[in-house]
Amino acid sequence: MDRLSRARSGLREMDALAAGGSPIHRLHPLSKLLVTVLYIVTVTSFPKYELSGLTVMVLYPVLLLQISQIPVSHCFYRLRFVLPLVCAVGLANPFLDRAVLLTLGRIPVTGGVVSMVTLMMKGTFSLLASFVLIAATPIDQLCAALRSIHVPGILATLLLLTYRYIGLMLGEAAAMAQAYQLRAPNQRGLHISAWGSFLGQLLLRSMDRAEELYGSMLLRGFHGEFFYVDVPRLKAADLVYTAACAAAFFCARRFNIPSLLGSLFVR
Amino acid sequence: MIEFQNVSYAYEGTRPVVDGLSFTIREGEAVGLIGANGAGKSTVLKLLVGLISGTGQIQVDNLPVNRQNLPSIRQKTGFVLQDSDNQMFMPTVYEDMMFGPRNYGLSMEEAEQRVDAVLDRLGLRELKHRYNHKISGGEKRMAAIAAILAMEPKVILMDEPSTALDPVNRRTVINTINSLGQTKLIASHDLDMILDTCRRVILLSHGKIAADGQTEDILRDKALLEANRLELPLCLQGPPRPI
Amino acid sequence: MHMADALLSPPVAAAMYAASAAAAVVSVRAVKKDENPAKLPTMAVTSALVFAGQMINYTIPGTGSSGHLCGGMLLSALLGPQAGFLSMVVILTIQCLFFADGGLLALGANCWNMAFYGCFVGYYLLWRPIMRGKFPMAGATRSAQRVKIILASLLGCAITLQLGAFSVVLETSLSGVTELPFAVFAGIMQPIHLAIGLIEGGITAAVLLFVHQARPELLMDADAGGGSAGNRRSLKTALAVLAVTAAVAGGGLSLLASPNPDGLEWSLFGNAEAGYSENLGLDEEDYGVSSGAADAAASIQEKTAFLPDYSFADSDSPVGTSISGLAGSALVAAAAVLVCIAGGFFRRKKAAHG
Repeated sequence: MDRLSRARSGLREMDALAAGGSPIHRLHPLSKLLVTVLYIVTVTSFPKYELSGLTVMVLYPVLLLQISQIPVSHCFYRLRFVLPLVCAVGLANPFLDRAVLLTLGRIPVTGGVVSMVTLMMKGTFSLLASFVLIAATPIDQLCAALRSIHVPGILATLLLLTYRYIGLMLGEAAAMAQAYQLRAPNQRGLHISAWGSFLGQLLLRSMDRAEELYGSMLLRGFHGEFFYVDVPRLKAADLVYTAACAAAFFCARRFNIPSLLGSLFVR
Repeated sequence: MIEFQNVSYAYEGTRPVVDGLSFTIREGEAVGLIGANGAGKSTVLKLLVGLISGTGQIQVDNLPVNRQNLPSIRQKTGFVLQDSDNQMFMPTVYEDMMFGPRNYGLSMEEAEQRVDAVLDRLGLRELKHRYNHKISGGEKRMAAIAAILAMEPKVILMDEPSTALDPVNRRTVINTINSLGQTKLIASHDLDMILDTCRRVILLSHGKIAADGQTEDILRDKALLEANRLELPLCLQGPPRPI
Repeated sequence: MHMADALLSPPVAAAMYAASAAAAVVSVRAVKKDENPAKLPTMAVTSALVFAGQMINYTIPGTGSSGHLCGGMLLSALLGPQAGFLSMVVILTIQCLFFADGGLLALGANCWNMAFYGCFVGYYLLWRPIMRGKFPMAGATRSAQRVKIILASLLGCAITLQLGAFSVVLETSLSGVTELPFAVFAGIMQPIHLAIGLIEGGITAAVLLFVHQARPELLMDADAGGGSAGNRRSLKTALAVLAVTAAVAGGGLSLLASPNPDGLEWSLFGNAEAGYSENLGLDEEDYGVSSGAADAAASIQEKTAFLPDYSFADSDSPVGTSISGLAGSALVAAAAVLVCIAGGFFRRKKAAHG
């Protein structure tokens, strides 16, 4: 049940990180979003044996993490959610694809091993990239960016409102869970007899809350329109950043940069 | 400013929570609405702004509370909810404070000026861009009051403004309330706070008025208070008992 | 069941984004048309609640392990399919952004796999027909309603999770990232998710029953059960019917999903001879895959892949991994380390100044 409080502190941590003032934080949210999507698309589009070409992509998240001064440890802690499924899928590869692709000294490396490592690197890299995005962009700015690319207002508003109340709900659920555990110290989870009432109670309370919330909107003249922080204008720096990243990703995908680099030294 | 004439209200299938209530509040008055749990305090506030509607006549600033007048009545009244989390639904204090003024047609600049002025006046400048889910309970309550003041209401309604606050925050809220010149109607159990903020008190019991008068008279009347499941305010309870 | 970015190729991810976006557009229109301004705060608070509910461990009786809630069925029963879908999309987005569950690229696929099936299929094919229909028992008595809620939740969660799990398998295979044969992968995923689905169904049913008892008006298509409390006997027979239905449905599904590849291939592609290998969808003619989506995805993949048969001139292997590649990678690693050291140096310097 500790997941509730952990999730809550995770959320707080991200907020604290997003409040930073590094050059990355100051970039336009839209250009950050675009670059991140481009990066992930580039990374995932590498063919499964293209391990050496893929390695160069590590530089983007590493550079960004350093410039935005976001501790890497936060990020790797998060990998524990994603990597299991990726590993489970990837781990089969070495057993199924046994064609030897190359030999390192005397050790033969099979296609399966290469594709497994590629898959894990893809998983890690794309996670790092989206982590940097959200750690350097406050949620309200991100929503503003979404609206500026015509994501429906309902969705953006819902995202903001839900985000606002997730912390609260996690807190309430955590308090209830603690109260439950104090009276049931030997149970690790929720007993079946409480499956319905635990979340159900919280749900009824939430419905009352929603009603009150709506009342408070009405009292302040709500008529279906929300107002947000203004989306900042795109500056020259944002455009340069986006273009430079896009060009870099394209080159990294088009040319095997590590291989070219290496060939300068080894022949 | 506020007038109730024979107002009644009952939740579905229960006996009336507000039962034939009549009273008048003049402009600039600060009135405390006290009573036990379930006496009908919150219901009175909700009726006043038309969140619920019962029978009888209610007038705010000479406008009867009905569907037509609701927008202008709500613009004139500011309601500070008991649970600030229910009131502050936007992610940041700033956005939440902008919500009201913007809805009433102010431009971005005008609204922002107002927000800044209110924040300066309450000394909350540094809260402006903070997240609502990260500020402390006391800060949240002050921010909620600020968001209401940004609408520049003529009447301020408060539901338990001093609950769950530490003594210092509570005192800040009391001082803030006292600094406001508007007509105020404050529902609370915190009789010490009522004593500090209101000249007049309406004591509700089972939806009816049990007493209406000067704060000092009512809050000193031990028998009356205890008959209505209340106690003397702590500061009027005489010297502390030896421990 | 959250998919990670790495499990998807860009064309497949884009196709899933398009599908989910279409569902989202339809939902946004429906919610707007509804013109119920109170819906938005309700949706927000309910999504936040489901989000919290997902973090709770529900102990499965008789075992040491615990189940979890995903929430699609629960949300559509409370808010209706369209609002439920949007709420689920928001939950998945927040999970993806803040908790690294899933990924930015995989978001479209995750919305489809979890939100679309759970909300639209679950509601229109299961929840509404069962709640309004006469099966397993007619009438609007409280007990009849309760049985229907249990049935709809169990079936709804089990079936929508099967669909979701199957989509995961399909998307992963179409993306060509795994060597696992399609049928084996499906054979692993489907039975696991049958169990998960039934447990989620149990949790959903429990919550909905509680809500039905306390505030029946909150549920879609449910009557308040104005009649008598119903007699216990009919409840018992109904529960028996229900158990049998669940067992039959579960058995059927797991049979369908059994690791026997022939049956699955037959049922899916009508071609038992075709073998499956990693790049399903790339050469669909060889494998007898004839679905339009696969065709489209494959052709998109062909067009968007920068260089489909990319390999280096100086190396025979498709890897492009040669000694020079290794050396280059080492250089990249060194550069990355250097960046980190430089970053640390500047930070310390700044700290010393500050």
